[in-house]
Amino acid sequence: MPVKYGVPSDPDYNERLAEFEARIKRGEKIEPGDWMPEEYRRQLIRMISQHAHSEVVGMLPEGAWITRAPTLKRKMILVAKVQDEAGHGQYLYHAAETLGVSREAMLEALLAGKAKYSSIFNYPTLTWADIGTIGWLVDGAAIKNQTMLAACSYGPYSRAMVRICAEETFHHKQGKEMVLLYAKGTPKQRQMAQDAINRWWWPALMMMGPHDQDSPNTEVLVRWGIKTKTNDQVRQEFINEHAPEILEAGLTLPDPDLRYDEKTGNWLHGPINWDEFWQVVNGNGPMNKERLEARRRAHAEGAWVREALEAYAAKRQRTAVAV
Amino acid sequence: MDTQWPRWEVFKQDSPNKPHQAVGSVHAADPEHALLTARNIFARRPQAVSMWVVRAEDIYSWTQEEVAEGQMTKGESYQAQVGQYLVFRKTSHKRSMTFVDYVGEVEAATPEEALKKAQATFTDALALAWWIVPADRVYKSDPSPETIQSWFAPAKDKTYKQQQYYATVGSHISKHKVGRGVEDEE
Amino acid sequence: MRSEVREALIAKLTALADDEVILAHRGSEWTGHGPILEEDIALANIVQDELGHATLWYGLRQQLDGSDPDQLAFFRDAYGYRCCELVELPKGDWAFTMLRQYLYDLYEALWLEAAQHSTYKPLAEAVQKIMREERFHLQHTQAWVERLGQGTDESNRRLQQALDMQWGYAQQLFVPIPGEELLVAEGIVPDLLPLRERWLEHSTRHLQNAGLKLPINPGYQPTSRAYHTEHLWSILAEMQSTARWDAEAKVW
Ligand SMILES: [Fe+2]
Ligand SMILES: [Fe+2]
Ligand SMILES: [Fe+2]
Repeated sequence: MPVKYGVPSDPDYNERLAEFEARIKRGEKIEPGDWMPEEYRRQLIRMISQHAHSEVVGMLPEGAWITRAPTLKRKMILVAKVQDEAGHGQYLYHAAETLGVSREAMLEALLAGKAKYSSIFNYPTLTWADIGTIGWLVDGAAIKNQTMLAACSYGPYSRAMVRICAEETFHHKQGKEMVLLYAKGTPKQRQMAQDAINRWWWPALMMMGPHDQDSPNTEVLVRWGIKTKTNDQVRQEFINEHAPEILEAGLTLPDPDLRYDEKTGNWLHGPINWDEFWQVVNGNGPMNKERLEARRRAHAEGAWVREALEAYAAKRQRTAVAV
Repeated sequence: MDTQWPRWEVFKQDSPNKPHQAVGSVHAADPEHALLTARNIFARRPQAVSMWVVRAEDIYSWTQEEVAEGQMTKGESYQAQVGQYLVFRKTSHKRSMTFVDYVGEVEAATPEEALKKAQATFTDALALAWWIVPADRVYKSDPSPETIQSWFAPAKDKTYKQQQYYATVGSHISKHKVGRGVEDEE
Repeated sequence: MRSEVREALIAKLTALADDEVILAHRGSEWTGHGPILEEDIALANIVQDELGHATLWYGLRQQLDGSDPDQLAFFRDAYGYRCCELVELPKGDWAFTMLRQYLYDLYEALWLEAAQHSTYKPLAEAVQKIMREERFHLQHTQAWVERLGQGTDESNRRLQQALDMQWGYAQQLFVPIPGEELLVAEGIVPDLLPLRERWLEHSTRHLQNAGLKLPINPGYQPTSRAYHTEHLWSILAEMQSTARWDAEAKVW
């Protein structure tokens, strides 16, 4: 495939860029093979691979509870859910691969600690109620972001997101069902649910990333139709949906400043602890080391397996040629 | 150097009278393994009755833009004599889970010629993208009813991973307008 | 149904279900830790299927004695469990896991095929459902055994090592439980003896084609399902920890 990633030094760059932006305005999808600015490609690879890594690392906090799920049904649901996250990672790596980056390279960056992933997964899952809470809040926050990205201008990313959103709704609902059940359950169950909400609420709000004024990439991402909403818009949507539902369930939220604003119809939140956010992003969250270590171990222990199948395929190819 | 195995594009058919559609790709070692893997990844939920896999590098693709610019050659052409080529096409910018749909076969000597024939043959809709695949590079799931039962039917019973299973949870957002975050705090 | 037959059927269904629960437990330890994303997903499919099978078998027992499947799974201790020892062994490496799943799936697929015409209708119906999935499992695990066996020297060595370890344990799958002869006489479940012959024939052929050395000195071959490996206690302690955490909780 001739490479058509345009850079500003190209003689026809401005002309092509105008065409490209007009296509996006018309709601057309950019497909692999189409001309695109190198910067568009770079931003997409950055976002999609980070997103893929998040799905894959995101298997770990919940996966830790599969062997401790309290009923056969919950166990099945949780396996299916964590499996879906692997699937989401799989779809997303595929989307990034269409931009000419290999999965080997993306994984190498993750395992070398050079790639970012959503810092929410660097918090520990302390009790079973964390599983419901992650489904409700973390997947709830992810859905808001992903629904937006389903409209994005790059075809493969948009398609991955449509598929992911369809599956993610199940994650959200099973989590919500669980938390609502425990909120009405025994005293111990109620306490467990409240404790989980207390620990996950703020990290969930941080998931959408820094405030708009502190988010350097947002402008170009919006212009090129990669993002169609800003971090704060998505965060507001999330709070507006989840805060009232959690309160209605008889649970509380750990934000003394949270209030409903009649004028705007928005639920307003108190200040977010961005110091904590950056601490975790920069590798100092409670689970950063353990998560990465788990991925490294799985990758290293799987090396001989991957080699074996490659060797098998090569042998078969040779026999096929010989025949 | 790590290997994640080669990449195979996957085409899934939802029901017998629908076309195979490009749904994504899998990393797998060999054709049989790729088919098993495709089933594991893309039939976790209904619907499916058949799957095809093709090594990603055996696919020749053109976007509308490339066709308009007259970029008719695609690197080193597949060394084939006259043979059958499968044709896939995308016709809509609408949001979707799938990319190109199978539209039929043409006989040609090269992928480039297959593309020209496809453009002349499948004229009922504007093509936004074309995929041309040599027929002998396509691996298909076994069409027997027994395999369809075993590969694709069980997903229908796995209702716990469908959102409708949890449909009655909670109330609508419009019901919640007032209240403070901490009013219920012990 | 005569009460001795009924008791025997309850015990058999429990053993079938317990095998699936513990095998699924071991399989689920891989979720998030597989050798490549695609296989992580694949094994998670098998785990869900096996849990589904367990639910079906416990469900058939429930129809006979009203016992609750989750009570059986999460509130019985190692004395009460009736799984075989093969499924209890720690998950090991990928070769160990794939081989165990293969040996078990082959047994299960053959058992189901023979149980299709059970005179006990509910069982025959459950068999139809489960059989579809086991056909695919077997295709999948068979493919893995072939590939690891014929892959690299290392994969072959690891697979052979797993086989040497598991072969004796696998024979327990064909040891009838007390009272099983009553069920066989009534045509409710298949006779394990001819099944064992078929399993030996199939598995030996496939394993040898994969480049593995057979026959194997089986060594220890467990017989009674009343006793277990030293692992079961810990498996259950972990598996049941949430369910037992709150004595008052009625639903989870
Ligand atoms: Fe996800
Ligand atoms: Fe099973
Ligand atoms: Fe199985």
